[in-house]
Amino acid sequence: MAEIAFRNVCKSYGATVAVKDMTFTVHDNEFFCFFGPPLSGKTTILRLILGLERPDSGEILIDGRPVNGVAPAGRNIAMVFQNLALFPHMTAEENIRFPLVERGERPDRIAARVGEVARKLRIGHILHKPPALLSGGERQRVAIARALVRDPVAYLMDDPISALDARLREEARVELKRIQREAGRTLIYVTHDQEEAMSVADRMAILEEGCLSQIGTPSEIYDRPVSASVACLLGSPVMNILPLTKEGTAAGGAIRLPPVLRPQAAAFIGIRPENLHVLQQDNDEDGSCRVTDVEPLGGTTVVTVDAGGAVLRAVLRGQPDIHIGSRVTIRVDVAHVHFFGSGGEALHQHREGLA
Amino acid sequence: MSRSLSFECLRYAAILVALAITLVPILWMVSMAFKPVAEWQATGSDLTWIPKDPTLDNFRYIFGESSSNLIVALERTAVKPILSSLLSATLGTLIAMSAGTAAAYGLSRYGTGANLPLALLQLRLFPPMAVMIPVMVMWSWLGLMDSWYGLALIYGIVTLPFAFWLMKVFFDDMPREIEEAAQVEGCSRWRVFTRVTLPMMRAPLASAALFVFILNWSDYLIALLLTTREWVTIPVYMASLSSSMTGQLYGAKAALGLIAAVPPVLLGIMIQRHLVRGLTFGALRQ
Repeated sequence: MAEIAFRNVCKSYGATVAVKDMTFTVHDNEFFCFFGPPLSGKTTILRLILGLERPDSGEILIDGRPVNGVAPAGRNIAMVFQNLALFPHMTAEENIRFPLVERGERPDRIAARVGEVARKLRIGHILHKPPALLSGGERQRVAIARALVRDPVAYLMDDPISALDARLREEARVELKRIQREAGRTLIYVTHDQEEAMSVADRMAILEEGCLSQIGTPSEIYDRPVSASVACLLGSPVMNILPLTKEGTAAGGAIRLPPVLRPQAAAFIGIRPENLHVLQQDNDEDGSCRVTDVEPLGGTTVVTVDAGGAVLRAVLRGQPDIHIGSRVTIRVDVAHVHFFGSGGEALHQHREGLA
Repeated sequence: MSRSLSFECLRYAAILVALAITLVPILWMVSMAFKPVAEWQATGSDLTWIPKDPTLDNFRYIFGESSSNLIVALERTAVKPILSSLLSATLGTLIAMSAGTAAAYGLSRYGTGANLPLALLQLRLFPPMAVMIPVMVMWSWLGLMDSWYGLALIYGIVTLPFAFWLMKVFFDDMPREIEEAAQVEGCSRWRVFTRVTLPMMRAPLASAALFVFILNWSDYLIALLLTTREWVTIPVYMASLSSSMTGQLYGAKAALGLIAAVPPVLLGIMIQRHLVRGLTFGALRQ
């Protein structure tokens, strides 16, 4: 039940700028995800919201109220830390109870709340154990339970499931989404995993070196990245970025774009691997493209193509009859080509005009 | 296989030698404590590990029951020195541990007083002899001479650097997020310290305190200079257990040594569970 906003917030540690003049608003009841490479300022943003760090300048607002001078305990925000930060000298139950005890809740209400949360997260059977005796997944549940047990205005989570193995992560992801929906609270989530960010977030923000590059729904950002670097952060394998010649060719002439189809200022083009079509060539007439690697992943196959010296990656459905060394031609629908200027900035208007 | 066998033999041989060097003198002291005067200075075939005529006379002697075997009557008994050692070492340990822990925590968490660690270490860089005479003058001026609390105070000061450095390493190794979690969940800084930090530090605190206590307990020089009659400690008292007529009172010294070994050993056993964890704290990832 809170809207959290940054107004021109700056924070540096010595010479390192962690957060650069950042302004954004996380809406009430939103699953909001911060995504960026390591050291992009994700964790610092959470620490600023929590009040564990003070901004050098700018204002942090919770529900429109400036909280710059408010201590962490007074902000009523719950947090799940990256290393979970369970209290090792307490049992799981004492850990979960801790926030309520510190806030002076009545014992009967504490017992009721702990029971309720333990049921919701299915950890009733491990409440008596200390964290050291719990598995990774159980610890994570206890940490989330400690955050859920009270009634904060927002939940913050710093990559809480990064320690789990791939299968458990998928489960945890689904569960987090369910928990957020049921709790009906703002949830701010930080991750370095693009797939995780895109799958859970209502809206997300892309961070690069302490700057907010783009903010929007995952599909908005995926379909209309503001720059080549943002485009490369989302999607796996990464987008193919190719320099575009004055004549409108790329990849050694394998891709040709007539002038009417491309913006004047375009210096680079970007093609998502799933939009690149690779066709088997019967004869060797167009010999400029050669397959250098094939990675069958079951449902899809990633094919690496050498096109006139440029390395392109394509994701194809199923397991096509393409082998290393095959001669191929590549095709791309111009509606799916991203154009970037010489500085990497996206040139969206032209694409919209074309569509 | 044969190579690893010979290696094992060597290993056990080395362990046996090390054990012998450590344990034999202690066992000899235990044996001596129960020997009558006649056996104190036995040589040749008279020399035995097990006292031929075991007796508690040595203990009776230092606690003031005059014994016919011992010519010299003692000026004072061991009761007061034992009390003095217990009081001064315990209070000194409390002073060093509380001040050292507070300083280490502040420095580790807030980074204030960046020069403090070396400044404290400086206390240990002076040869004790160079410091003790001026301290004697100061203590005399403050009226702290020959008192258990005067001793406790200087013990606290002298062992403070140990307490500080040990605790600082432990605090530095403690994950900061745990305290931050407590803060976020509604604790003030002070509550964080008492509810989360100190309980988590139980093992390190126990091992550091034992270490500091042993240092204080075995001090001789400071007590020699700062006490004269009333509050001499066990080591000082032990040195006085000799006379021009009888020479060293070996049996009495051994008996006193045996008694002096009891408190540290007891403490060690009491906190044994914490000791291993405390001394390896931070070396193991959870």
